[in-house]
Amino acid sequence: MQAFDTPAPSADAQGAATPAVTRGRAIVITSGKGGVGKTTTTANVGAALAAAGKRVVLVDADIGLRNLDIVLGLESRVKFHLLDVLEEKATLDEALVRDKRSENLYLLAAAQTREKEDVVTAQMKALIEQLRDRFEFVLIDCPAGIEMGFRNAVAGAQHAVIVCTPEVSAVRDADRVVGLLPGDWRPELIVNRVRPQLVKRGKMLSVEDVNGILRLPLLGVIADEPSVIVATNRGVPLALDPISETGAAYRAIAAKLSGKDVPAPSVRVPGGGLFSKLGSFFGGRA
Amino acid sequence: MSGRRIVITSGKGGVGKTTTTANLGAALAKRGRKVVLVDTDIGLRNLDLVLGVEKRIVFDLVEVVEGRCQLRQALIRDKRFESLSMLPAAQTREKEAVSEEAMTRVIDELAETADFVIIDCPAGIEHGFRAAIAGAREAIVVTTPEVSAIRDADRVVGKLVQAGIPLRLIVNRIRPEMVKNGDMMSVEDVCDVLQAELLGVVPDDEEVIETTNRGEPIVLDETKRLASIYDKIARRVEGEIVPFTNLDAPGIFGRLFTMFKAG
Amino acid sequence: MERRLAERPDFYRGSQATAIFNGELPEDGALSRFLATVTGYGIVLRGLYGGDELGALAERHALAYLGEPPRPAVTDIERKRAARAYKAVELTEKARSLEADFAGARADIANRRARGEASVPKPVFAPTAPAEAGAPPPAAAVAAVVPSSTLYHRGTLRGGQSLQQLGSLVVVGDVNPGAELVATGDIVVFGALRGTAHAGAQGDAKARVFALELAPTQLRIATLIATDDGARRPREPEVAFVEGGRITLAPYAKIGSTSS
Repeated sequence: MQAFDTPAPSADAQGAATPAVTRGRAIVITSGKGGVGKTTTTANVGAALAAAGKRVVLVDADIGLRNLDIVLGLESRVKFHLLDVLEEKATLDEALVRDKRSENLYLLAAAQTREKEDVVTAQMKALIEQLRDRFEFVLIDCPAGIEMGFRNAVAGAQHAVIVCTPEVSAVRDADRVVGLLPGDWRPELIVNRVRPQLVKRGKMLSVEDVNGILRLPLLGVIADEPSVIVATNRGVPLALDPISETGAAYRAIAAKLSGKDVPAPSVRVPGGGLFSKLGSFFGGRA
Repeated sequence: MSGRRIVITSGKGGVGKTTTTANLGAALAKRGRKVVLVDTDIGLRNLDLVLGVEKRIVFDLVEVVEGRCQLRQALIRDKRFESLSMLPAAQTREKEAVSEEAMTRVIDELAETADFVIIDCPAGIEHGFRAAIAGAREAIVVTTPEVSAIRDADRVVGKLVQAGIPLRLIVNRIRPEMVKNGDMMSVEDVCDVLQAELLGVVPDDEEVIETTNRGEPIVLDETKRLASIYDKIARRVEGEIVPFTNLDAPGIFGRLFTMFKAG
Repeated sequence: MERRLAERPDFYRGSQATAIFNGELPEDGALSRFLATVTGYGIVLRGLYGGDELGALAERHALAYLGEPPRPAVTDIERKRAARAYKAVELTEKARSLEADFAGARADIANRRARGEASVPKPVFAPTAPAEAGAPPPAAAVAAVVPSSTLYHRGTLRGGQSLQQLGSLVVVGDVNPGAELVATGDIVVFGALRGTAHAGAQGDAKARVFALELAPTQLRIATLIATDDGARRPREPEVAFVEGGRITLAPYAKIGSTSS
């Protein structure tokens, strides 16, 4: 699996010839349904990629309802945001906020007091192109829904990661989103907030139930833990926590995205059951 | 005699708007009120799923607005609650299909014969949100005690105030043990930030997921504690002053709960 | 008119009617035939309205002559016109187009439901072949259908996507919940049908729905609608059709494509 695109002609870059042989990958993290963990996933996968040495920029496309900065604990450091850059009130360098912990991780925050309709799709595309020149991974945190905000977030990307929880409404919304993405894309799926015990008792959908409808390549499965909420509230991504299982799951996802084979499943089930089946699922593919 | 029009909104997605709409609506219907629930999340409809009526949809809101059917042809009567019906959203369309004026006309018409028209608002603050609040006269803002949810709720509160729509707050999915440990904001903290009148506090309950998947609002089961909580919320909506349950006494409310305008 | 009555032979039985003749009088023979037809369908003719000359004609056929046709009062007309104007709705271009036709049959469904009739009956599962499998269809009953084309779609339909066709529809792929198929003819899904399918959307009750896995959220054929409680886990290809006024399912292996 390629981590980088094949070299692109510099005709689409803004002005100056692009000396870079490879350009970064722009991936939109989307879901349709709100509250399933897009922002947390974007932050954690980004943090994990950065910890593995990749240069990553996280773009918060949820204009008006920004949250990525909070999850990373960077809200006090944001001086300029995405719209400021688009409207040329600030340069990209002035707006990019470097992560507290990693020098490989940057954030481009959304505007809080503006509207999604203020962003023009073409401008968004151009901005993402610029970022691809400077970073190996451009992760775009998509807003909930399928309106203008969603369309703009998807505009600059080449790949999508769908985040879905094991709930019928989330699956339905995810399916809708997949249908709205460009037809030649092959989006990957992360199933979030799984509670293995509930699945075992038949009180929650299993990963097979979810992907039986969505039929997407499975990127990862993440179990539900109270620690996720705590980490979010404290602004510390779990991916950086060496003993958190959820963190390990995010790191595995990051590894897969950068092209490494991942032998072990993302979630360990106490006492076997559902996910031991998943083991073969993962083992056989990558 | 015109019914009350209440929009259930939040800003952040996934905090429980649709679940609240379904359960509050059912609770009011249980008390004998004539209730119509309206799903305005066009393209991402879910209220029908939560109520378990997805298989009975013949016409939807967009077709009503476009004049391809009459309102009564689109309404689905709930089989469990005499006086509860719902108007589903369209799944194959976009939110732009319904303008604010068109939405207002539909809500007006529904309010003519219902006691309560409860509008389930989509996530976000884009066109879908604006259309959903267009027909409403009151709002209930739902939030969870998490920083990002509260921030989004704050934005929505601002917009509602701008639009002159009075609002009250439901704090959803609270986990008393986490509040006690200091791992979660207390209800009071939330109210402080949002400066909104509290309508209800709903604890996190894993049964909600299951009942949602089955399409059975949890208030159907009188034995569930959430059923009595939604019942209390329904009573407060009707103007009764109902004291808040001590789910875990000082726990959820952090420090001692002093000045509070109940209602 | 004969054709109209033949479409719904029992509908008018027992009702009363009057006939209004404006302008030229019918011939005796024509009037006799008309009376015969009308009585044949059980309609009682109270009398005839028309000009003076109609009186003698009426007498010859033992019918009452009721005089000049009643004129509606001006206020009635005005009220009707005003009511019409009030109901006039701004139709979007989409509503006026092809899609409007599909809504018609559904209106029947919705109206029945609004009248309190059982909203969505479960389909009848018939594991054996239907009775008419052996007999060839009577030639006259095969209605001439407007020539149409079949839409072929390869790929899975996601929730929120919709395919509509004047003619038949073939999908090679799944149809997910939230996706919609509407066709005036048959619908064939070479995959799992989990969304909504409406075959015979303009009223052809002989239309069928075939699927490798028939588990739709809602199934409609012409003006009939059916759904199940979701407990079905179909294990073989099945076909849905109308039999005895209800939507019936059967394994494809047993039925094949026998037309009826």
